[in-house]
Amino acid sequence: MADHKPIFDEHVKKLPTRKAFILAHLAHSRRQLREGWILFRRNPLGLIGVVLLGMFAMMALVSFIPPHIDPMYQPMTGVDPDIIGSHGPTLKHWLGTDFIGRDILSQLLAGARVAFAVGISAAVMSVALGTLIGLIAGYFGGSVDTILMRTADIVMVLPGLLVILIISAALGQLTIWNTVIIIACLRWAHVSRVIRSQTLSLRERSYVEAAKVAGAGPMRIMFRHIAPNVLPFSFLYMTFGVTSAILVEAALAFLGFGDPSTVSWGMMLQWVWKTGHMFRAPYWLIPPGVCISLITLSFYLIGRSMEEVVNPRLRGDA
Amino acid sequence: MELRRYLFSRAQQVVITFFIIMTLLFILFRVAPGDPTASMIDAEMTAEDVHRLYQQFGLDKSLLTQYLLYLKNFFMGNFGLSYHYGEPVLNIILDRLPNTILLFTTASILYALAGISWGKIIAWKKGSFTDVGVTFVGLLTYTLFLPWFALLMIWLFSYKLGLFPLNGMISPEIWYDPDAGVIAKVGDVIWHLILPLFVIFATHFGGFLLIMRSSMLETLREDYILTARAKGLVDKVIRNKHAAPNAALPVVTSLGLSLAFSINGGAITETVFSWPGLGRELVFAVSNNDYPLAQICFMLIAAIVLLANLVVDILYAYLDPRIRF
Repeated sequence: MADHKPIFDEHVKKLPTRKAFILAHLAHSRRQLREGWILFRRNPLGLIGVVLLGMFAMMALVSFIPPHIDPMYQPMTGVDPDIIGSHGPTLKHWLGTDFIGRDILSQLLAGARVAFAVGISAAVMSVALGTLIGLIAGYFGGSVDTILMRTADIVMVLPGLLVILIISAALGQLTIWNTVIIIACLRWAHVSRVIRSQTLSLRERSYVEAAKVAGAGPMRIMFRHIAPNVLPFSFLYMTFGVTSAILVEAALAFLGFGDPSTVSWGMMLQWVWKTGHMFRAPYWLIPPGVCISLITLSFYLIGRSMEEVVNPRLRGDA
Repeated sequence: MELRRYLFSRAQQVVITFFIIMTLLFILFRVAPGDPTASMIDAEMTAEDVHRLYQQFGLDKSLLTQYLLYLKNFFMGNFGLSYHYGEPVLNIILDRLPNTILLFTTASILYALAGISWGKIIAWKKGSFTDVGVTFVGLLTYTLFLPWFALLMIWLFSYKLGLFPLNGMISPEIWYDPDAGVIAKVGDVIWHLILPLFVIFATHFGGFLLIMRSSMLETLREDYILTARAKGLVDKVIRNKHAAPNAALPVVTSLGLSLAFSINGGAITETVFSWPGLGRELVFAVSNNDYPLAQICFMLIAAIVLLANLVVDILYAYLDPRIRF
């Protein structure tokens, strides 16, 4: 890399300024990402998390295949004509069937798909909202800050699952996307606090001062100068947010408030429980729970390793 | 002196927050689609009767008047009749509240204390087999899915091994027996309590363990620990009297934050174990569209969380004089 640099520099000097600037920026980001990855790699737990996550991603991708092999593998509607009721693992059904003869393995794979969809959308939404609010509160300070943070305090104190329950009491059955939106509206508070404290300290840096002198307005300063520096924290909270969203959706489905047209791991547990197969169908009871627990574990491990990358104080502890 | 002022300002915050939650709930149920009296209107009723029904429920008054009536009713303890049970909501709530408090408080205290004390021990022994082992177990149980873990525990300990009851809080044979003594009754409740308590404890203590451990590791790098060692103090004394109290502060903060989550866990545990508490009542009320009961259950649970947060904040202010202002 070192001997390439002079040639690269020669090249760059000949480019128009804006292009050169963008290239330098990209090179810097790439370097930062690489350093981050090297730090992340150091911790074996983080790698275990990534491996587990990869396994679940594979499951989600593979989930599209079974219905094409045979319509009886459809997670919601597939019925095996030869089987009545719940049976243990056989050659045709590797994990057995549920109480109306649907294949458990295809349900498990479909659940992985739902988990990723729900987790990632809710996390992205809540982190985007939280980062925005944190930036605004931290940058403007004063009464805007106070109002936003008091709201965040109130939202943080509410037990999320129960809030969704009471909303579903008032508004009727929730679809899966309604649930995702409500989860996002409850999770932003924690993120916004962290982003706010980061913004508060970054606000005092000299480059912000310089930008102000150059005439930059608040929007430009927030998004062009401060935001890129708080993004690592946003990503970190996204990993925690995914876990939390998956868990909330699973718990809701377990209690019977999930979307009846989606097959998720929580739904599978609800079916086992409510149809009385809890004690006699371990092949049905165990896989969804193991999946939820392992995906939680994988995100937790990834999140912890990322925390070490993002927050230098934590390195060398675990 | 400052502690009292801090207590007062925090108490004010709690009251305001509670009011805001009440107002939001009021708005939520007014925004809800559907007519609350739809289930009571008969085809036979005349327009006059329907109008009288509306008047009876105060639905013809302005929104502001309805809101003030709502507040007045709440503070007079007039919670209305439950649609499902047909009894006054107040009676149902008073019956369920102690059960939830018993389960929730005991579990919270146990897992907080266990997390703190084991966290400090294993941080001291960092890198040893105990450290790795306990951390691993803590991490494992922390990430287990609570409802699933609860089902597994029932399957294992109640069904297969028959050690604990399958569900509920009391055994009718003992409680309705006029000759049974207090000890038998209390023992019975405790016997029923063990499994749900264990489930909540196991799924939450891992978090505390890990936070206490990292907090302790950071505290151990401080200069005053070096001083204590230089003074020749015994290891145990340094750990318990110098390092642990300082390391425990972030853990207490996180206890406050985690209360909202553990109450979710409490509600799920109550439902799975059929423990007759507020959480389970809320889940049932929502399933049955029993609005009065659902609202009051939710508010009461919110009040419990707020009060618990207040207690934790006071505890933190007592332990860390720096934040009293």
